[in-house]
Amino acid sequence: MLKSTSTISWLVFAGAALLLSLLLQDLYLRSVLNLIAISALLAVSLRFVMLMGELNFAIAAFVGIGAYAAGYMSTAMEVPFWLAILIAGIGTGIVSAAFGAVTLRAKGPYFLLIGFAFTEAIRVAYSKVPALGGTSGMVGIFPPIAMDPWMPFFVMATVIVLLLIFFILERSDFGRVLFAIREKEEVARSVGINTFIYKIATIAFACFAAGIAGGLHAFVNNVISPGDFSYLMAAFALAYVKVGGEDHFFGPILGAIFLVSLSAYSLGFGGDEHFIYGGAIVLVVLLLPKGAVGAIANMRPKKAHVKGGGHAALEQ
Amino acid sequence: MQTFIQLGATTLQIGAVYVLFSLGLTLIFGVMRIVNFVHGHIFAVAALVVAYLLPILVGGGLAAPAAYVVASACGIAVSLALGAIIYLFGFRYFQRDLVGSFILSIGLVLLLDGVLLHVFGGAVRGVPEIFPGSVNIAGAQITVQRLFLCGVAFLMAGILYWTLGHTKLGRALRAVAYDHEAAMMMGVPYARIAFFGFLIASLLAAIAGALIAPVSIVSPVIGTDYLIKGFIAVIIGGLGSVPGAILGSLFVALVETLGGYYFDSSYAAIAIFALVIVVLLFRPKGMMGRA
Repeated sequence: MLKSTSTISWLVFAGAALLLSLLLQDLYLRSVLNLIAISALLAVSLRFVMLMGELNFAIAAFVGIGAYAAGYMSTAMEVPFWLAILIAGIGTGIVSAAFGAVTLRAKGPYFLLIGFAFTEAIRVAYSKVPALGGTSGMVGIFPPIAMDPWMPFFVMATVIVLLLIFFILERSDFGRVLFAIREKEEVARSVGINTFIYKIATIAFACFAAGIAGGLHAFVNNVISPGDFSYLMAAFALAYVKVGGEDHFFGPILGAIFLVSLSAYSLGFGGDEHFIYGGAIVLVVLLLPKGAVGAIANMRPKKAHVKGGGHAALEQ
Repeated sequence: MQTFIQLGATTLQIGAVYVLFSLGLTLIFGVMRIVNFVHGHIFAVAALVVAYLLPILVGGGLAAPAAYVVASACGIAVSLALGAIIYLFGFRYFQRDLVGSFILSIGLVLLLDGVLLHVFGGAVRGVPEIFPGSVNIAGAQITVQRLFLCGVAFLMAGILYWTLGHTKLGRALRAVAYDHEAAMMMGVPYARIAFFGFLIASLLAAIAGALIAPVSIVSPVIGTDYLIKGFIAVIIGGLGSVPGAILGSLFVALVETLGGYYFDSSYAAIAIFALVIVVLLFRPKGMMGRA
């Protein structure tokens, strides 16, 4: 399924990332690396839903659901931390499938805005539940002490496995159906594809990953509060996708690496996160509409299209 | 009975601002097919300028109502200038591009968040009372300030309604919203009409901001709350529909008022979301939406 060149590049990048997660000793740098990994996962999840032409702005709500579920299972029920994260992911996927079954009847702007409203409604809901810590949130979500030095490795490995699944799904027939839905859903339906099921499956898997990301976030930060999961989280994920370039799988990952590093670096000088992310999005949208990856691809001499015209037709 | 009148009056007071706010959202969507998240900041800038200037002007010896008019004019002018800049350097290139324009608007939201926090600081501001006193209408107590707010808001909504129905600009706006290509073939200058549409929408948001400043606490994030409610109102009513926006706004205000009276006001946010889901189950394009 994977071509040999992409297998090699995956092995090189994954190996380098995992090695980095083992070698870094500085506590601050380790936290930045964790944040980059989780952000990259969110960005790729957001882009995966964009493949079928929808913007899943509810992703912030699902990260929150995953984080709260994992945190609650770990602190109140003493579920082992890896199992808590896994169950949180699966639970989030199920909730998102129900959410999708209702909201995917609407499209485009309606779907996007409902996600936005859902995020804010869920955030109010957390603050109303005393078992979840109300407005001040949940504290003391720790992985086992023996696990502590291995946390960056665990986070990175989990993220890489999920990224690989996203990659394989996109290159498979499943990914082709998503492209077809984006271009002309009626045509996909006319050849007997149940597009509604595909759309729900897409949301469910993307939000499964978001739930896992939330669980990782909870154990990495040890503290979560409703304010962490506002619509700004989805806006930041969108920034990674857009700055990196949405046409290529690795675009969002590059965007996450670049923007998270930039904001971590500039916070040292009292820089403002909103300002940097906002400025980056505006500049990129106006100047490099295809993102960093698109700009790099444009600089290379154009190769003749050998791999069939299908892909060219998809690029607008 | 007394309670119902009071609740009805409260609904109209809250709803008046939502109506102004969501009319702008629906107008921009109708004409340009853009989901404009910056709308909340155009609203916030006007409110912030009023809250900033008013104490200075009153301190300088101006009477409160006169100072309010001057401050409002300044606030609306600043907001309109901001709207014009955003359109001319940004949205102009993203008309009818839902994803692209949305991403641009999110970028502008984050950028303006940073700028407003820098310029005005994070502290909330109270604005001195402009029109003191309250009146009794059919048993319901309403402060004069709120009454003024309602009056202006519904007057503006009426003017917009009349403009859309009876003027050349209004007809052009409706034609563009219905089918922009056909409208262009009939000689409607689309680019200019879209610009006017965006400015009118920004004007409505700016007026709403200037009106809300004396009756609410003003902070740089004030726009986000209205943005959520405003978008919910237009989803319920149907994106692009003017009567839908008015109806949806009053609906949201009603749920919020009842929720705040009988339960805790923060439950209203959840109730409103539930309402959206129910509406969508039966009418995926909103109550007044066109297929």
